[in-house]
Amino acid sequence: MPDGADERRALDFLAELIQALALSTDLRKTLPMALGRIADFMQAEAASLFLVDPASGLIECRLCVGPVDIVGLKLEVGQGIIGRAVAQNTTQIVRDAQTDARVNVRVDAETGFITRSIICVPLTTGEGPIGAIEVINRRGGGLFEIEDAVLLETVAAPAALAINNARLVDGLVEQQRIRRELDLARRMQRMLLPKRRRGKFPLIGINLPAHEISGDFYDYFDLPDGRIAFVIGDISGKGLDAAFLMVRVASLLRWSGKDGLAPAQWLARANNESCQTLNEGRFVCALVGQYDRSDGSVVFASAGFPPALLQSAKGFESFIADGPPLGILPDIDYGERRLTLGDDALYFFSDGAIDAREAGQERIGNEGLRDMIASHTGLAPEPRLRALIGDLKRMQLADDTTVLLLQEPRGTAAQTLLDLPFPARAEELRRVRARLREALDAQGVGPELRDRLVLAVDEACTNVIRHAYCGNCDDTITLRLTRERDMLGFELRDEAPAVDPEKITTRDLGDCRPGGLGVPFIRALMDDWQLEPGTDGKGNVLRMRKRLHSDGDLETNK
Amino acid sequence: MNNECVSETVGDYVVVRLRGEVDLSWSQQVRKAILAALGATGKVGVEMSEVSYIDSSGIAALVEGLQNARSKGQQFGLVGVSKAVMAVLQLARLDRVFPIFPDLDAARAG
Repeated sequence: MPDGADERRALDFLAELIQALALSTDLRKTLPMALGRIADFMQAEAASLFLVDPASGLIECRLCVGPVDIVGLKLEVGQGIIGRAVAQNTTQIVRDAQTDARVNVRVDAETGFITRSIICVPLTTGEGPIGAIEVINRRGGGLFEIEDAVLLETVAAPAALAINNARLVDGLVEQQRIRRELDLARRMQRMLLPKRRRGKFPLIGINLPAHEISGDFYDYFDLPDGRIAFVIGDISGKGLDAAFLMVRVASLLRWSGKDGLAPAQWLARANNESCQTLNEGRFVCALVGQYDRSDGSVVFASAGFPPALLQSAKGFESFIADGPPLGILPDIDYGERRLTLGDDALYFFSDGAIDAREAGQERIGNEGLRDMIASHTGLAPEPRLRALIGDLKRMQLADDTTVLLLQEPRGTAAQTLLDLPFPARAEELRRVRARLREALDAQGVGPELRDRLVLAVDEACTNVIRHAYCGNCDDTITLRLTRERDMLGFELRDEAPAVDPEKITTRDLGDCRPGGLGVPFIRALMDDWQLEPGTDGKGNVLRMRKRLHSDGDLETNK
Repeated sequence: MNNECVSETVGDYVVVRLRGEVDLSWSQQVRKAILAALGATGKVGVEMSEVSYIDSSGIAALVEGLQNARSKGQQFGLVGVSKAVMAVLQLARLDRVFPIFPDLDAARAG
């Protein structure tokens, strides 16, 4: 029976051990130390720690001290003393092992160790036992007492907690590792996409993966004869294997197109190669083409890719695929499309864009995409593509979404026609309108359109004074009028606190009530408008655009 | 052309004559003149043949006048609307909402 001194010794030992387990940052070092201290304190000849392997369901010895090394010994749950402790989640005490039917004497027979007396306690967590600690044979031949069992139970609780925590941490570390690797894979995939070319390059692409990694790709490269070759593709399926396949198919399409083979033959070659190498059930939708900047001619061919969309002054025209996807049947003859691009825009969308949907609604389809493009017609190619992607991002994208746009950037730089700073006071507006009328007259803009544009700009100024500056003041508004070919640009800069574009109220025209007409006027009169924070986050910039059409907008004799 | 807003009484009819460019700088003055006229009589017309420009704040003053008159069963119309004003009314789809008369006689005849 332990007296007072023994109890204090036991408490000191427990406190130290619990602290060591609780503070441990590396259980692989702390646990063997703890087990050794337990064996010493309890004067045991041997001690061992068993854990349930969640994969196999077996109980495996992970640590032991004593004359026989049993690390790696596997037991069924329910088998022997340890198996019982785990199965029943109760402490097992064996006073005389040699006559106790619960004891598995096979180990003794194999090792020559003689087991006399055992205490075994389960390592218990909120989700049940995860293993057990066992001490064997008191040194000097004595027997273990009930107090020894209580002591071991007291030690087992923090040990179980520490082990469980470590397992959770391991799980988190593993998750983080997988995320890091996926992130790396995604970055490597992005590196495969061509770099945005500086200067006036006619192709821009954007890829939005639905998950970390994408099965979509696009590419463009210069051919030896000066033409530009382009590719866009979509691997069937999603996830990791689609992503790996994407890497292979992207390089196959580049390789088979680098000599400037006509698009139909280019696809045929890539198709035959794909039929040999793609796994069962996998296929690739792809569109390949070439663009000649010297004469504006485009030729392309599509293997099961969604319809290409041409936007011109006359509206939209779509071009459906010229043959089945790659990798299904060998020796396919693909058709080809030829057109002269001129100032038109040719869009290639992977089906992720067509399948985009507003929350709870039908997918937008080709029609929805056309409307979306039409709503950004006034913008230059790059901001237009960004605006489209912005629209798509606001929707639910179930699939990887890729857009490639072929369009000649406008040649000439914008010309500034008016640069007019004025105080933000309503009395100034009359003078501003007069200056704007003059500038538009000088461009040969017809009086009807001129008055409409003046109205839109005046409404915008009014809104800046009323809502950004909250009334007349002496701060500055700057109006700039620019022209780039047939595109007029109107820019209003102010120094007022930032205005949230989402909070601008608007209404439908035809809704008869006073007020709130300014924004609908601007929307009705301009091709597009956008409000952005000013440079360095100071003030606001409102940009509006209007394309001049040669039939009627311009006075011909000016 | 200077901005001007003058109210004249012709029998039981008050005509508010506007001239110039109606914009934010004085549309409140126009609004008050219209509401004052509606306070004085049951038949009001806004004469706009010499208005070369009107913005949405000017249109708002006209809409408020119309709504005010309707709620009290009064007559309210636009008289001699200039081309510039008509273009903005059409844009706001209000050209069929306001009674529009070619001249004062037609307006008074209702």
